[in-house]
Amino acid sequence: MLPDIVLLFIVLGPGLSALVAGFGKPFWGDRFAMLVTTVTVCTAGILSLYQLFAYAFGGNGAEEAVHVAYAAEAAHASKAFDPYIITLMNWVDVAGFKADWAIRVDALSIVMMAVITSVSGLVHVYSWGYMSDDPHRGRFFTYLALFTFTMLMLVVADNFLQLFFGWEGVGLASYLLIGFYNQKASANDAAIKAFVTNRVGDFGLALGIMGIYFLFGSIEFGPVLNAIQDNAILTPLALVEAGPVQSLTIDFIGLNINALELIGVLLFIGAMGKSAQLFLHVWLPDAMEGPTPVSALIHAATMVTAGVYLVCLMSPLYEYAPGAAAMVTVIGALTALFAATVGLAQNDIKRVIAYSTCSQLGYMFFAAGVGAYEAAMFHLFTHAFFKALLFLGAGSVIHGNHHEQDMRNMGGIWIYQKFTYISMLIGTIAIIGLGLPFTKFGFAGFFSKDGIIESAFSASLLGVPYASMAFWAGIIAALLTSFYSWRLIYMTFHGPRASDIAGTEAHAQAHSDDAHGHDDHHSHGPFTPHESPAIMLIPLGLLALGAIFAGVLFYDPMFHHSEAFWAGAIYHSADNTVIAGIDAMKYKGGYEWVFWAPLFVTIIGFLVASFTYYFNRGIGKTMADQGGPLHSLFYNKWYFDEIYQASFVKLTRGLGDTLWKIGDKKLIDGLGPDGMTRLANWGARRISAMHTGFLYHYAFIIIGGVLLFGFVFFIVNGGTS
Amino acid sequence: MDGIPILSLLTFLPAIGAGIILLISGAIRQDGQEAGSKDVLWAGIFVSIATFLLSLFVFFVSFDKDVADYQMVEQAAWFGNISYKMGVDGLSISLILLTTFLTPLCLIASLNSIKMRLTEYVVAFLLLETLVIGVFTALDLFLFYIFFEAGLIPMFLIIGIWGGANRIYAAFKFFLYTLLGSLFMLIAMIYMYSVAGTSDFEALEQFAFSPAAQTWLWLAFFASFAVKMPMWPVHTWLPDAHVEAPTAGSVILAGILLKLGAYGMLRFLLPMFPDASLDFQPFVFALSVIAIVYASLVAFRQTDMKKLIAYSSVAHMGFVTLGIFSFNTIGVQGAVFQMLSHGFISSALFLIVGVVYDRMHTRKIADYGGLVTAMPVYAAFFMLFTMANVGLPGTSGFVGEIMSMAGGFLAARWVAVGAALGVIFSAVYMLRLYRETIFGPMTNSALEGIKDLTRLEVLTLAPLAAATIIFGIAPWLIFNITDSAVARILAEMAGG
Repeated sequence: MLPDIVLLFIVLGPGLSALVAGFGKPFWGDRFAMLVTTVTVCTAGILSLYQLFAYAFGGNGAEEAVHVAYAAEAAHASKAFDPYIITLMNWVDVAGFKADWAIRVDALSIVMMAVITSVSGLVHVYSWGYMSDDPHRGRFFTYLALFTFTMLMLVVADNFLQLFFGWEGVGLASYLLIGFYNQKASANDAAIKAFVTNRVGDFGLALGIMGIYFLFGSIEFGPVLNAIQDNAILTPLALVEAGPVQSLTIDFIGLNINALELIGVLLFIGAMGKSAQLFLHVWLPDAMEGPTPVSALIHAATMVTAGVYLVCLMSPLYEYAPGAAAMVTVIGALTALFAATVGLAQNDIKRVIAYSTCSQLGYMFFAAGVGAYEAAMFHLFTHAFFKALLFLGAGSVIHGNHHEQDMRNMGGIWIYQKFTYISMLIGTIAIIGLGLPFTKFGFAGFFSKDGIIESAFSASLLGVPYASMAFWAGIIAALLTSFYSWRLIYMTFHGPRASDIAGTEAHAQAHSDDAHGHDDHHSHGPFTPHESPAIMLIPLGLLALGAIFAGVLFYDPMFHHSEAFWAGAIYHSADNTVIAGIDAMKYKGGYEWVFWAPLFVTIIGFLVASFTYYFNRGIGKTMADQGGPLHSLFYNKWYFDEIYQASFVKLTRGLGDTLWKIGDKKLIDGLGPDGMTRLANWGARRISAMHTGFLYHYAFIIIGGVLLFGFVFFIVNGGTS
Repeated sequence: MDGIPILSLLTFLPAIGAGIILLISGAIRQDGQEAGSKDVLWAGIFVSIATFLLSLFVFFVSFDKDVADYQMVEQAAWFGNISYKMGVDGLSISLILLTTFLTPLCLIASLNSIKMRLTEYVVAFLLLETLVIGVFTALDLFLFYIFFEAGLIPMFLIIGIWGGANRIYAAFKFFLYTLLGSLFMLIAMIYMYSVAGTSDFEALEQFAFSPAAQTWLWLAFFASFAVKMPMWPVHTWLPDAHVEAPTAGSVILAGILLKLGAYGMLRFLLPMFPDASLDFQPFVFALSVIAIVYASLVAFRQTDMKKLIAYSSVAHMGFVTLGIFSFNTIGVQGAVFQMLSHGFISSALFLIVGVVYDRMHTRKIADYGGLVTAMPVYAAFFMLFTMANVGLPGTSGFVGEIMSMAGGFLAARWVAVGAALGVIFSAVYMLRLYRETIFGPMTNSALEGIKDLTRLEVLTLAPLAAATIIFGIAPWLIFNITDSAVARILAEMAGG
């Protein structure tokens, strides 16, 4: 464990640097802001990586043995490994609703800290090149550092409230960065869409937190998770009867359901929003409006994995909420498949990678859903490197091709951008998971993705619901992944240059329009692509190392023999033997095909892509042009945007208008103050109309009045006067 | 400190200041000098800052936050059994601090925007401050009533004299609504006095009204407080009042006057009519959830910046009523916190609108756009308060919302679900407002050359920004003050 002061620096340093950069920029300029944030985050990155390696491999033998023994004992005794907690300050403490600002370090947060700060550090460095001619680069770096800080706060939280702080904090940073080019309508739309869609998820998360408070009388991880594991007898705050927590039920809008299931579902709704799972995924592709380094950091490597982190952190909960876990499995599997189909048909290089991210997140979720949390976290870890690599590589292509993002206008650029090309190749090989089964030869994705697929199969043997469906979804998605990944490589880097084909389809527009920044769509005349500067290529190189070696290095500690590593941070119920079952499958025989299947479909995907986009480039184009209904379904992303636009968006607008113009103006004001005023005016006019000034009118009224009174008096007295 | 009626001093200090300002400015006018010089405003600012300092003194020196009962009590016979009685607890002292904190900011913000009848303006503001502090210090029914109702008059004048084009309609609507509610309350108070034989808060809190009487009394008081909050469906005066009021008027209205209703609920409905409060819980829940969802949806479609924020206020006050009527510690504490937090945030948002209104003299959202390049500091402040209004964790807006909702969740799950829906919509309407004023290209040529915040404007916004963030990350600063009072109110409710 690192000393407190170092942990404090890793977590708070980026936040302070954002503050210093934000307030210092007006006085000392953009370079100051860039320098402060980059140095701080990179230092934090090195320290966190050191922490991860020291944690996974460090220590002399004796200490390690003790550690392993303790962890094994802890795991067997179903007791959570006591994480290391630094409490900074109280936040809220009212009636058991207690949350501290804290830094909680366990295996999960060690992994997350390493991923966040290392990728963020590289993205900072890369952005020196990528954003070099942006007039607002100081602001950009400030936002990046702010994001890094909030994301770290999320993963070191020791309670749900701080987690929520980080959760919405990264949402804010993401909103600011997606809308970084704030003159552009599409960027602003995308930013709002991201924030609001995430808010829909947060609706679930917030209710989940309230449910936890209701059930446990606490919102701190320790007491809550321990109570679930121990099946403690609890008296929820608003119930009379106590009972073991795993069998308590809760009244929820007319339903009476198992409390843990309810909380599991609500928390997962939050995870779906943040991690762009099916139905709440619509914001992620649009988020590509942000500068490409942002896409690499936030929308690939870190923020979008927060949902996976949450589900893994809550492993005790999902272990005893099989229904909620099944929902995680199904949504994850569907997303893996759905996003891969959409990725097949996209032409924007960043959108292909965005859908790929969405799909890979689906893998992580169904792994967690079937109980293989280790596999989910392992894939989260390796995916961060190769997906960040792919995005930054795409950024290098965009940078070198004068902001072109449409792959149809690319082609043949490998000769101009060799370093970028090789990096992208490494990233592609990593994401398709190339490797030799039963050996340790393979790129990062081979270990983690195949680990997920094997876990799903192993779970299906244990009878975990929907596990076999998830397995097959994983296999098919692997086929599609291979296809769209190679399609991207071929369309971008190989074949003839698109501009050569198009000839001099003159696009005379100048491209030095600084205010529009980079990822701006505008076309150019013929040009020669150029390789990006070294400051952008170095991060690519480092990430490529991660994409190659992260898998083989961490396969044993994080996945295969991982009890010592996770040390209770991930919990398994007694009958969850999914991970152990993989080894059984390996050595008992009869299931070898499970291990070969991913490789097999990957090769098929590669061959098909090569056939249609390399050897016969025309075929791919023809398929796209005459693709028929299936192609338009994929190309138009299954029409989710259109459906949401026609339903939710329209409904909100319509309701807003109706309630305002009819509810407030017509009904409330019309019957209320305005109606009263009208009534009073009308009455006043009537009464004043009687004041005619003619004597005989008054006389008539007086006489009539007297008669009326007399009549009433007569009636009231029973007619006996 | 014994013997000095410090609460009375605090309450009437602004009024005394107003009197002196009136005398001096009258004297100046007789000397033939120009009436309406800015000096009058500065004098008012001086008085209000002195009041703020005195309130800080009262809070830090005289007030003991561990005492649950009313403290610093001052009592003098008035007439009959009715006495002039003042005192504070953690609930009222925090609202007094909010009042004395916001009033100087309002007057500073008026330096550029108010051009006519400055003396009367300052006097109205200072009188309003006295009356509002009086509401929070009064411990006698009739004293309370006088402060509560008299507060209407200066606000009515501020809207009616210094307001916008349609100010007369707005002022009358405001007056009609609030007065109507108050009449019921007066009748109820007379009834209470005749039955209980006292008008003393402490005695009344101990007095058990019969269930039937409680129902009627509850309804009468509720009518008055619901209008003041305002709760759906008696909220429609608020958007009009805000739109027509001058900036500082909106700030006081949203920041402080809207809190009077909630304060009344906590002072009267819960401790004095506990049975009726319990009976009406679902009713208030329903109105609260409707307010949150309905007002948020309506806010989304507004074209006037002030109206949008006014509707947002209605939604946010829905969280307050929801929290209060959850009858549990977390909910009520959340509601009290939400009152204070809304005092900072909505005040700041009205100041934010005032900044561009002073420059452009329009509040239409469509007239703006692309301000970020010309006004980066403004955009940064606006972003902070937008996020605070949306309830981003780390700002004070979050703490009140999540705690009132958690309180609601304990009481009835559907309430929390409905309120949480409102949290989604708040993002929709606030981000739309921000986007259409701050981002995008600057299409309105009239905006060219628009100046960023002046130092004075920063001076008014910065304290609110600081409060929003400080209480967002350390809300216990407030809970420490309020928790014994909230515990007492809930105990009285349970015991009575």
